[in-house]
Amino acid sequence: MALSIPPTPLRGRRARPGVVRSVGVVLLLVWTLLPVLWALDLSLQTGAQAASKPAHYLPPTPQLANYARLLFGDGDIAESVRQSSVNIVIECVAATVVTVVLATLAAYAFARMTFRGRNALFYLALATMAFPAYTTLIPLYRIMTGLGLVNTYTGIVLVYVSGFLPLATWILHSYLSSLPISLEEAGTMDGANRMQVLWHVVLPLALPGVVSTALITFLSAWGQFLFPLVLSTDMSTEPLTVMISSLLGRHTVPVNLLSAAGMLAIAVPAVLALFLNRYIVNGLLAGSVK
Amino acid sequence: MTRALAEAHSERAGAPHAAGAPLARRRRRIDLLPYALVAPFALFVVLLAIVPAAWTIGLSFFHDAALDPPVRFAGFQNFITAFSSSSILQSSGNTVVYMVVGVVLSTIIGTAAALLLQTSFRGRSVVIAVLILPWALPGIVAGLIWVNVFDANTGLLNSVLTSLHVITDYRVWVGDNRLLTVFLIELVQVWQMVPLSALLILAALQNVPDELYEAARLDGCSGWALIRRISVPLARPGIAIAAVQSVVATLNIFDQPYALNGQADAGASLTMQTYFVSFQNLDFGQGYALALVIAVATVIVSFGVLKLVYRQVEY
Repeated sequence: MALSIPPTPLRGRRARPGVVRSVGVVLLLVWTLLPVLWALDLSLQTGAQAASKPAHYLPPTPQLANYARLLFGDGDIAESVRQSSVNIVIECVAATVVTVVLATLAAYAFARMTFRGRNALFYLALATMAFPAYTTLIPLYRIMTGLGLVNTYTGIVLVYVSGFLPLATWILHSYLSSLPISLEEAGTMDGANRMQVLWHVVLPLALPGVVSTALITFLSAWGQFLFPLVLSTDMSTEPLTVMISSLLGRHTVPVNLLSAAGMLAIAVPAVLALFLNRYIVNGLLAGSVK
Repeated sequence: MTRALAEAHSERAGAPHAAGAPLARRRRRIDLLPYALVAPFALFVVLLAIVPAAWTIGLSFFHDAALDPPVRFAGFQNFITAFSSSSILQSSGNTVVYMVVGVVLSTIIGTAAALLLQTSFRGRSVVIAVLILPWALPGIVAGLIWVNVFDANTGLLNSVLTSLHVITDYRVWVGDNRLLTVFLIELVQVWQMVPLSALLILAALQNVPDELYEAARLDGCSGWALIRRISVPLARPGIAIAAVQSVVATLNIFDQPYALNGQADAGASLTMQTYFVSFQNLDFGQGYALALVIAVATVIVSFGVLKLVYRQVEY
């Protein structure tokens, strides 16, 4: 059973927040947002402004030149930021689609069918979530080297899917198990086969769970760093996260430009988190209650 | 109910052959669909998770270095060599500090945030939406964002503290003093872990029935006493899960120190050493051994924390 935070709280308990609560919430928001807003501030300044002491807490002459330079300008930094942005989108979308499709099929079988080895396979997959992801780093690198899949999207996507599939299946399994089975039985009575029941009855009902799973998978893929660092040795498949770490390592990239690159890298996850947070929260809670 | 569905199906499939030979009917009974549905899942889990994990365990007892072939049995030599290196020992110490600081801080801040959000107020859903932002960001970019805060020349912290006359001049925060470096890097990870901790604890708090609070209020409890005697004890399942998530994250920390302190030893974690020995020194054997040590430590500490914090709760 998935826990969830009630979307519309009880009217009776909607009290005016006390002083302690108000101060606490403001502190929480400052702690959460201040570093991000500071990076946004820097990204809107010129190099000289960003280097001034004391700092400019608001951009004196807000300008988008840093973003324009990264998105449309020349030079190897701009080019590699653009290439790695394309790479990260391709890798994350592909990993999310493959993971969600395979996890839906598996979760449907685990939740609604009996077959030999079902429990063994299910708990084996859960057990893989208990050991840290990096346990498999070196063997996966060597497997991908052996298959000639280093510096390919396929190699990175295969590794992402293997990492995210158990959690995605677990979230979808707990979601499917909570759905009433009577509608599926009605579908079977009407002569639909089980794949038709999955497509026409189960999936529409499970759509919020599928969205949660897709969002969590996509955000996890977007955040990956060590696996793609190892699996891509040139710019052809390097995602934005790896590209940014190499900018950080150079120490010659001005902070305003660096901050603009950082803002580009958080734009997609920030929009997803701010606007689709209910799905993310429900998925996280479904995935963590064991 | 699952069986009802399966039976309904097998009846339909089996009906025309009811009078057929028993052997044929038995063969027909094997339902291939579930196997087809889980086959890709099973392939991924076995080939790209179970096999690599077993590979790490097995090969950690072999000498396996690209510059010194062939692969040969080495007993515990990889572990001994790894843990006689001073930088790996220092990174082990760093990792313990990362874990202790991270688990304690993320649990405390997460509990505080959950208590703040427990009862409804205007704008609560907006606060929750904003709160999960750091969780959604890549660790490496969170590192970049905080580099701007801690920077020795252009950092926000230096600017604010100098303006307030807390410090007289800009100073180096990350990379100089080892303990301070580790603490500040861990703060970045805590920033990213608090959202999940807060949500898990909040979900546990939402399960506590209102009557318990009302009964306690009638008994004269209020404010702090309610938190200490009702909220926190009854949220222990959520707090335990949050703490375990933090144990796993902190013992495997990589992105934040890599972003904030590069490859320098001051803030290096054990996972970073695994990366260095395997992909810079090309000594995979030592890499397997270090990865195995981290995995075993993660499992042991997770169970320890779970045992310490988790309590079955009945309302």
